[in-house]
Amino acid sequence: MSALRMPRVATVQFKSFRTKGWGRIAFLVVTSVLMLVPMYLLIVSAFKSQQDILQHPFSLAPDQLTTEYLRKAATNPDFNILKGYAVTILFVVSVNVLSVALAGPVSYVIARRSERRYRMLLLLFVAGTFIPSQVLVIPVVYTLKFLGLMGTIPGFVLFETTLTLPFSIFLYAGYIMTIPASLDEAAAVDGAGKHRVFWSIVFPLMKPAVVTMVILNTFSVWNDFVNPQIILGPGSGLYTVTTGVYAAVSQYSTDYTVVFPTLLLAVAPLLVVFVLLQRHVISGLTAGATKG
Amino acid sequence: MRARLTTLSMVGPALVLFVVMLVVPVCLSLYLSLTDWDGYSANPAFVGLKNYVNLTHSAEAIRAGWVTLLIAAVGTVLLSVFGLGFALLVNGASRLNAFFRIVLFYPHVLSALVVGFLWSAVLGTSGVVNGWLTSKGAEVLPFLSDPKWALASLIAVLVWAGFGVNVVLYLAGLQTVSKDLLEAARIDGASKRQTFFNVTLPALAPVVTVNLVLSLVTLLKTYDLVVSLTGGGPAGSTQTAAYLILWDSFHNNALGFGSAQSVVLMVITAGLALTVARLRARADRGVQA
Repeated sequence: MSALRMPRVATVQFKSFRTKGWGRIAFLVVTSVLMLVPMYLLIVSAFKSQQDILQHPFSLAPDQLTTEYLRKAATNPDFNILKGYAVTILFVVSVNVLSVALAGPVSYVIARRSERRYRMLLLLFVAGTFIPSQVLVIPVVYTLKFLGLMGTIPGFVLFETTLTLPFSIFLYAGYIMTIPASLDEAAAVDGAGKHRVFWSIVFPLMKPAVVTMVILNTFSVWNDFVNPQIILGPGSGLYTVTTGVYAAVSQYSTDYTVVFPTLLLAVAPLLVVFVLLQRHVISGLTAGATKG
Repeated sequence: MRARLTTLSMVGPALVLFVVMLVVPVCLSLYLSLTDWDGYSANPAFVGLKNYVNLTHSAEAIRAGWVTLLIAAVGTVLLSVFGLGFALLVNGASRLNAFFRIVLFYPHVLSALVVGFLWSAVLGTSGVVNGWLTSKGAEVLPFLSDPKWALASLIAVLVWAGFGVNVVLYLAGLQTVSKDLLEAARIDGASKRQTFFNVTLPALAPVVTVNLVLSLVTLLKTYDLVVSLTGGGPAGSTQTAAYLILWDSFHNNALGFGSAQSVVLMVITAGLALTVARLRARADRGVQA
């Protein structure tokens, strides 16, 4: 489907559109510097004193650098970043597993059945992509309270999983339609049940679509702020990386020896993933952007 | 019978979750928007369309609406101009281009909350830039402390963080421009400028539309960055619709009024998103043709 095809990054050259020569390179170098300056400041300032940050923000004198503040941020009593990582990774894994476990089978049914009601079902799910989650979370608070799940891990994971369903089902159903049905029919003749056919025959072939969704879900759960802030709230004592950053940074927003090291610790894991898997991450996140 | 049960076991779990966590809450929002509920009282009174009428009189809500529209409109234009401009500059298979694409894209990986805190540490009154200016004996610049500057800073940071996605989308679009046409234009002696306006841009039209509407839909929901960059200030001048909705719902305990605002925002975003879906379907057909 288009969502999978669109983000593929350019490999074909259009000579006529390349502003040739050094002008183009120079312009791009200047832009790159502008793009990277905040990241440079973030990294360098995490190792400097307040006075040094404000007076010589760009300087990089090795004898002035210290890991003291970074260590302090890692053991901040307001927000234990290691626990924050653990909690967030738990959420990321649970949402990814639950999302594929729920969206996979339903997408399979939608892709293989031609009855009208399954097309309506797909439309219903896809309509969910149009609801902004920042606004949806307000009534969800009361649904979760009714179910006794407000402020709990299952409540949060279930809501976060729901948010992944519309686009997953859209993507998976479209992808399964490109897998020949003769494959699963052959397996069915051999006596395998529907669940088995899906998980052992179709699912392994859906890998590209699943990878896209896992990347997208991983980044959106890791970076989500509103939903954990409201559903888990400060009362639960459960901080994700982002709600923890909010708790730790908003109080001391001008003590940069707290701000920069905390922010650096918060973004470091995702930046490492991005550097390692850049092409996958770029296409996954761009596919997500097109869901609107 | 067994086949039906199997189908049900495949469809059921996802459908139940979707209904409980999305369909029911959306309906609840619609209902609450017609009440004066404060979030805890047992018997919210039904007030009809009063919340919607109040919405048209609320100076705060109207300002948040305009701020949101301004961010969405200006941001969308900038995202598309930067997106297409840089896509043309980094289009090509060289390693250097690959590097530039990564540099342009990377802020999108960071959470908007972190991006906001980072930029507020850079641009704040006692931030890095102003600290540096002060140490050089220069005047402090009100990046985040003057209403107009704050709004401009907010838009600038949104563009900084987001245009990498537009670059990637336009790059994908550029691959669909007919090479034969480009070659023909070159042989006929068309200038680069003529080729761009007469061949490339018309071929990109569907991609441009998709980019515009997608950016618009995303920007209409701006929330996290407002929290961390400006906190909605100074004096409420950078409060967006989503920010005000959450504020009214949870801090002001005006759930009914907040819900009415949510419904309006949902209708606007859904309308735009539907437009995207339709346009994209048309664009896909255009690509195949």
